[in-house]
Amino acid sequence: MIHKILIVDDSPVSRKMLKSCIPKDREYQFVEAGDGLAGIESFKKHQPDVTFMDLTMPVMDGITALMEILKYNESAVVIVLTADIQIKSINRALDAGAFLVIKKPPTRERIQGVLSQAEAVLRKKS
Amino acid sequence: MNDTQISEDEQDILQEIMNIAFGQAAAELAEIINIFVVLSVPYIRMIEAVDLPGYIQTEFSEFGNISIVEQNFWGDFKGTALLIFPAGSGKELVSLLDDSPAAEFQYSDILEKETLMEVGNILIGACVGKVAELLKDMVTYSPPKVIVEDHPDITMSKTLFDPANSAIILKTVFCFNERNVHGFLFLITSHKSVVWLKTALADFMKQYE
Repeated sequence: MIHKILIVDDSPVSRKMLKSCIPKDREYQFVEAGDGLAGIESFKKHQPDVTFMDLTMPVMDGITALMEILKYNESAVVIVLTADIQIKSINRALDAGAFLVIKKPPTRERIQGVLSQAEAVLRKKS
Repeated sequence: MNDTQISEDEQDILQEIMNIAFGQAAAELAEIINIFVVLSVPYIRMIEAVDLPGYIQTEFSEFGNISIVEQNFWGDFKGTALLIFPAGSGKELVSLLDDSPAAEFQYSDILEKETLMEVGNILIGACVGKVAELLKDMVTYSPPKVIVEDHPDITMSKTLFDPANSAIILKTVFCFNERNVHGFLFLITSHKSVVWLKTALADFMKQYE
């Protein structure tokens, strides 16, 4: 079951948009970080079940943060949520180990769908 | 705060919308000319219209010569888009749009201008179009115009930018990795858009409440 969700995005608006798309049928615990480096620290501290990661961020970009998180925990479920929808960027994120890449702006249907997929994978792992 | 000023929260929303819109524009360009665009976090600033030319000149003072693709857009969201490259960038980009074999390839100033115009048209059209779409507006465009300048003297349309009023600058810095070319996209919206923009931004966020 997904309980804890980490959102790594430099835009507070983007974080708010994503949170509003997460189903309200369950009480999730949210942790937020404003750049890739803070995202890695939050991941290590809070051990989230699922992480949403932006790509274009100050201090440390999302691809670097994604790779660092997977080095720390290779079974981490990191979903990239990005405005950078160039094929090369999507492929880079998938090659780096992203669970899925979804484009901004998020929709409730899409987020609900990816969380269901993530939950199914987490269930298999446990 | 009066109705021609935008708040910090509104700037944050506009920044995210610009981020999404430029991402879309980069993807469209990448698809058409097979180039990878490195994006950066957009920057939003409110400025007095009278200070606009000076602001833009200061931004590019280190470049010396610059090339500008200019396109105006009209809808509820109205203003001017400026795509600015250091002079000579067009030469770097020409080969991306030219299908002729290398032996037949002939560079010319006209070709450079056409290339800049094409890149500008794609980036500006996709970016402004996406902002308008997200804010439920529809815009029309003037034809793009290329200006290659020794000393850029940006003359803002007096119809769009009354010097007595303010304007919003949305700036994105980008880089074409393969060609080591970087550039800037400015969307400058007139004060006439601000009142509409405030409502449109609030409406946009309602779906995320």
